[in-house]
Amino acid sequence: MAKNFLTIALPKGKLLIDSLDLLNKLGMDCLDIEEDSRRLVFDLPKDEARILICRPTDIPTYVEYGAADLGFVGKDTLVEQNRDVAELVDLKFGYCRFVVAMPEENLPPKLADGSYDLSVLNHKRAATKFPRVARLFFNDLGMQVTTIKLHGNVELAPAVGLAEMIVDIVSTGKTLRENRLLEVAPIFDSTTRLIANRVAYRVKYDRIQFMSEKLRELVKED
Amino acid sequence: MERSAQGLKLPEGMRDLFPKQLACLEKLEQQALQVCKNWSYQKVLTPGLEYKACIEPDPNKEDNLYKFFDKNGHVLVLRPEFTTPIARMVATRLKGQELPLRFCYSGDVYRNNSAHYAEFRQVGVESIGAGSELADAEVIALAVEILRSLEIRNFQLSLGHNAIFSGLAEEMAFDLKLRKELEDGIARKDMVKLESLVSQSTIPAEAKELLLAMPTLTGREEVLDKLQNWDHIIAIRRAIESLRTIYLYLKDFGVQDYVNLDLGILRGFSYYTGAIFEGYLPGIGIPVIEGGRYDTLYADFGLNLPATGFAINLGLLLEQINDFEVENSDILVYGQSPGAVIKRCRELRKAGRKVEMALGFMTDSDAKRIASSRGIANIEKVEGNREPSNRDFRF
Repeated sequence: MAKNFLTIALPKGKLLIDSLDLLNKLGMDCLDIEEDSRRLVFDLPKDEARILICRPTDIPTYVEYGAADLGFVGKDTLVEQNRDVAELVDLKFGYCRFVVAMPEENLPPKLADGSYDLSVLNHKRAATKFPRVARLFFNDLGMQVTTIKLHGNVELAPAVGLAEMIVDIVSTGKTLRENRLLEVAPIFDSTTRLIANRVAYRVKYDRIQFMSEKLRELVKED
Repeated sequence: MERSAQGLKLPEGMRDLFPKQLACLEKLEQQALQVCKNWSYQKVLTPGLEYKACIEPDPNKEDNLYKFFDKNGHVLVLRPEFTTPIARMVATRLKGQELPLRFCYSGDVYRNNSAHYAEFRQVGVESIGAGSELADAEVIALAVEILRSLEIRNFQLSLGHNAIFSGLAEEMAFDLKLRKELEDGIARKDMVKLESLVSQSTIPAEAKELLLAMPTLTGREEVLDKLQNWDHIIAIRRAIESLRTIYLYLKDFGVQDYVNLDLGILRGFSYYTGAIFEGYLPGIGIPVIEGGRYDTLYADFGLNLPATGFAINLGLLLEQINDFEVENSDILVYGQSPGAVIKRCRELRKAGRKVEMALGFMTDSDAKRIASSRGIANIEKVEGNREPSNRDFRF
C-alpha cells in the first residue's frame, strides 16, 4: 500500500451528506457513495483513498486503533469517549449544544444573575447518552449527580420519574419543547471535527496536513 | 473444584501466548537485549508491584493503573512502565556509583484501559547521569539499531523537543490557567482547542504563531531553520541547538536517514524535559517506541541526575509478524522397550540434540506421521524387546 494512502471514516446519519460534500469539494470522487447501500467500504483508487462508513460513535475507535487514518466526528462524541486521537480541524457543520434540561413544571429557582441555581440538583439523577460529559460538568461544579446511561430518547426519563433532569445535545430545541423540557444550563457547543490517528498524522503528515489546510479554507466563515 | 464460566475466561486485555508466538516474542526480546548489551547497557529488573506513591504521586490524576492494597492498606500498582521504578531503584540503592549508569530491561507492563493489550512486553534502556546531546544521540541510535537488527522495515523515528512549549510559556509568562489549558490541548493533540485558546487570549503574536506552527514543523534540518525566528527566547534557542547537535551526531552514528525532526510530537504534562522521540511503523496506530530526556524525574526521588531512555513495545511488533517459526525437535525416538528408549534419549540429549521421546509404543508409520506433523526431521527406532514387568508400554 502506498505510503500516502488514506483511510477516512465517515459517520453514517445526518453528518454524512455534509462530510461527503466537503470531500467532493476537496476534489475527491465521492459521488458513488450513498448511505442506503449496504456497502460500508468504498475504494477511491484515483484519490489513493478508502472511505469507511461507520456509526458516529465508533469513529474515534477506528481512528485511535489506526484502522482509519482520519475521521469526521462530532465534538460531542469526542468528549464523551476521550480517545487518544489528534483533533485537527473544526469543520463547523453539525452544530449542536450540550445542555442540562428539566421539566417546565419543576425548574430550579433562579439566581440574581438570571441563571438557574443548580445546587438544588445535588444528589439528583441525570439521564443521558453522554455520562462522561455529564459527570465532568457536575464534578467541575463540585456537585454530586448520579448519571443514568441511556441509549436514546432520554427526554422520556423525567416524564416517568427515572431522572429529574437530562443531559443531552440539542440543535433546534424542538425535541425539548415537544417534551415540555426547558434548558437550565448550557454545557458546551459541539461541531464536527476532523480527527487523525496520532501515528498517521506524523507518518502521512504531508498529505494529512494538505487536506486539513484545504478543509480549513473550505469551512472558513464569511 | 470445577471451574465456573468465569473461571474459563481471561480478564479483559490479557492474552495467552502459544509456542510459536512466544518463541517469536522471545527471539525479538533476546535480539534487542543483545544489541543493548553490545552498547554496554546492563540488564536490571525491578519488581512487578510498586507503591502507587512511587509510580503516580498525584492522587488527583486520572491514571490507567491496576491497583491493589497490601496488608497495611497501602496502595500497590502493577508497573505500567520501567523508567520510574528504575529511577526509584537508582536513587535509593545505587547512589554514588560512577556515572553514567547504563541499564536495559525487559518485562511485561500493565495498563488498564490501554487501547491494545493491557499487558505487553517492553524492552528499553535508561542512560542515567549524562546530560549531553551525545547521550541523547546514543539512545536514539541504539533504538534504530535495535529495530534494524530485528529486521523491521519501513520504520520511522521522529525527534522533537519537549521544552519549546514550556520555554515559551515561561518567557511569555502565561497565567497558570491559560498554561494548563494549553498544556491540555497539546497533550490531547487538540489543535482546534489550541487554535481557539490562542486566538482568544492576549498572548503576543509571535507566541501565537509558534504555538500554531509547532505541529507543522516536521522534516529534516530545515525545520530548525524555520524555528530561528524565535531563537531570541533562550529556552527555544537551547532546544534548537540541542536538536541540531543530536541530529549531527545521528549522522556520525549512521542512522540519520531513519530519523525525522518533528516538533509536532507533543506530550504535554509528562516527565520529559528535553529531546523526545517516537518510532512508528505503518499500519500500527500507536508508536512502537517512545523515549526522550527526563532531567527532573530523578530529582523527584531525591537524586538530581539527568537521564534519557526509551521503551520498545514488543507486543506491537509481534502483531506485525505473520510467519512465526518455532524451533522443532530434531529427532523423534521410539521403540518397544521404555528403558532402551530412555537410555537412547539421554545419550542424544547429552550430545546436544533436541529429542522428543515417544510416550507409548508406535508403529513405524505412526512415527513418520507424528514426526512430519511436528516438523521433526529425523526418527529413530530403538531396538529392544517389550519388558515383562509393569514398566511395559501400555496400549
